[in-house]
Amino acid sequence: MSASLHGIGRRALLFGASVLFLAYVLAPVAWMVSSSFQPETEITSVPPHWISHAPTLENFRAIFTTGEEAVTYETRRHGDPATGKFIPSTAKNLLPGMGNSLIVALTVVVLNLLVSVPAAYAMAKVRFVGRSASIYLMLTTRVIPDIALVVPFFLFIRKLGLLDHLGSLVITYLAITVPFSVFILLGYFESLPDELDKAARVDGCSRLQALLRVFLPIALPSLVAVTLFTFLTSWNEFLLALMFTQTPASQTMPIIVASFTSDFTISFSFINAAGVLAVVPPIILAVMFERYIVSGLTAGAVKG
Amino acid sequence: MARIKFEDVGKRYPNGFVALASLSLEIRDKEFLVLLGPSGCGKTTTLNMIAGLEDVSEGRLYFDDVVMNAVPPHRRDVAMVFQSYALYPHKSVYDNIAFGLIMRKHPKEEIDTRVRDAARRLEIEPLLDRRPHQLSGGQRQRVALGRAMVRQPAAFLMDEPLSNLDAALRISTRAELKQLHQTMQTTFVYVTHDQAEALTLADRIVVMREGVVQQIGAPDEIYEQPRNMFVASFLGNPPINYLEGTLARDGDDMRFARGELSILLPPHVAQKVSAQQGREVVLGLRPEDVDERSSPREGEAVHGRVSSVLPVGSDQFLGLEAEGKLLFCRVSKELHHQQGENIALAVNTNRLHLFDKASGQTLLW
Repeated sequence: MSASLHGIGRRALLFGASVLFLAYVLAPVAWMVSSSFQPETEITSVPPHWISHAPTLENFRAIFTTGEEAVTYETRRHGDPATGKFIPSTAKNLLPGMGNSLIVALTVVVLNLLVSVPAAYAMAKVRFVGRSASIYLMLTTRVIPDIALVVPFFLFIRKLGLLDHLGSLVITYLAITVPFSVFILLGYFESLPDELDKAARVDGCSRLQALLRVFLPIALPSLVAVTLFTFLTSWNEFLLALMFTQTPASQTMPIIVASFTSDFTISFSFINAAGVLAVVPPIILAVMFERYIVSGLTAGAVKG
Repeated sequence: MARIKFEDVGKRYPNGFVALASLSLEIRDKEFLVLLGPSGCGKTTTLNMIAGLEDVSEGRLYFDDVVMNAVPPHRRDVAMVFQSYALYPHKSVYDNIAFGLIMRKHPKEEIDTRVRDAARRLEIEPLLDRRPHQLSGGQRQRVALGRAMVRQPAAFLMDEPLSNLDAALRISTRAELKQLHQTMQTTFVYVTHDQAEALTLADRIVVMREGVVQQIGAPDEIYEQPRNMFVASFLGNPPINYLEGTLARDGDDMRFARGELSILLPPHVAQKVSAQQGREVVLGLRPEDVDERSSPREGEAVHGRVSSVLPVGSDQFLGLEAEGKLLFCRVSKELHHQQGENIALAVNTNRLHLFDKASGQTLLW
């Protein structure tokens, strides 16, 4: 009797804690999504409306149809507070900014995989002089905070003539993500038995074929992890993008969204609509790869 | 089909560790050669060198008469079965077996014929669509064998392929391996630390220790005429008994003496050690080389107290405390010895082994 009561109490406690945790994690996201469908007047109401009383797509329409008209001190009053038309002057840069973000993130993902996969395989399965030294050296670069690297990066990028060019972001994001990717993949490749590598090579694979035909398919879960990590890092990165980009030609989504808060007008519902759009690509990516995130794929490779 | 020749081949790692010291060995075409030794003796290194998975640091390795030192594994016509089987977890059994043929660009129909043929021979046909993790240990082992078989390689390399199987399966698979060797008519190189496996399978055994070959020979030769104490003790279960003592002259005869124990050496042995009285030696006595006659003759009797009786079904092992040593003897189970009983066993002096105490080398061959 007391044992089952104890069990129920335990479950209730765990359930309560889970609900609290979920609310803590999801509330800001829920508010962002909810308020993106609210007019500016509604989101400032007290108490807040978690579900809009007058849902509108106006904020999204504004993003996709913003014209060239700049909002100035003189024209800002043209905005109608009731419909939330406080559209920032940089609003038209949002979609191109997202395009830039997407180009940078995808390029970084591809180049990152091209570099880190062979590097991790070599470090895991090929014994060469300086192997452990190179692993440590590579990891050391990730101990240094990004802010300390901004100035050297800046000088380097300027020397290359890549300021205000997407290339500057690709190069610096690779410098940030490759060591970490190699580290993740290295751990995974090392956990795969050496005999698998040997079997592939005796079966007729060169090193590269062993990597492509045996290791990569097995390492799919870790490749997905690396891809997600790299994409999200590049998609969200702010500091370096702020340093190296100056015009909408190369500015990425985080820079554009941040600029909405420093305009003559601030529309929180508009900013939240931009935020909703900003999380769409990562969510698509996560949904796409969800079925590949399968653990235990290697079970059965070696003695059970 | 291949002859594999090692010419002063050595393996030295960058940290200075010598895994293999100057090995010279010719593996004959179609031979079943077993590399036998404890772990760390260099047997797997030797096998990996044949496969091309380890570089040869010194000397030359030939297949037939072609130097193979710099040929990468995928250009050597060898197939390998690993201790862990190393099946590709993401491929079906069929694809696992076919992989080597696909990589070597065999036509599709031929691959299919060969895979199905091998599967039939190994009785794993119903498993072809499964993944490795859905198979039992014995089935995985068969898939690994199949993967090597379909290649019809010049040399078939096996690295302790039976050690993950349970005892019963291990014995039946041994017989199948032997049969496989006969039907495939190709060179087999087999690594194991299991002396029973080596004795049953091998045409010749290479006994290794710490990177150095101790003895090469047919199983019988290795068992009957071990060159040194290491080889003698590595083969046989329970292992050979050793008794330290000295050589003593007794008129025209030679004896092995240790305390009360005095064994008359047979003429062919006595002749070999005739002028060496006083020499410190080690007598080797295999457990089965005792005679159970009730009253052994003088010069061949070992007196001792039975410390343990271990029946093993077909016969029994006796632990015998004699001259301060514990000797294990195999006797017929009809003898009903009791623990604590004092008995005398006759040793078969013609089958004794005699080693130099200092060097451990045999004094007989």
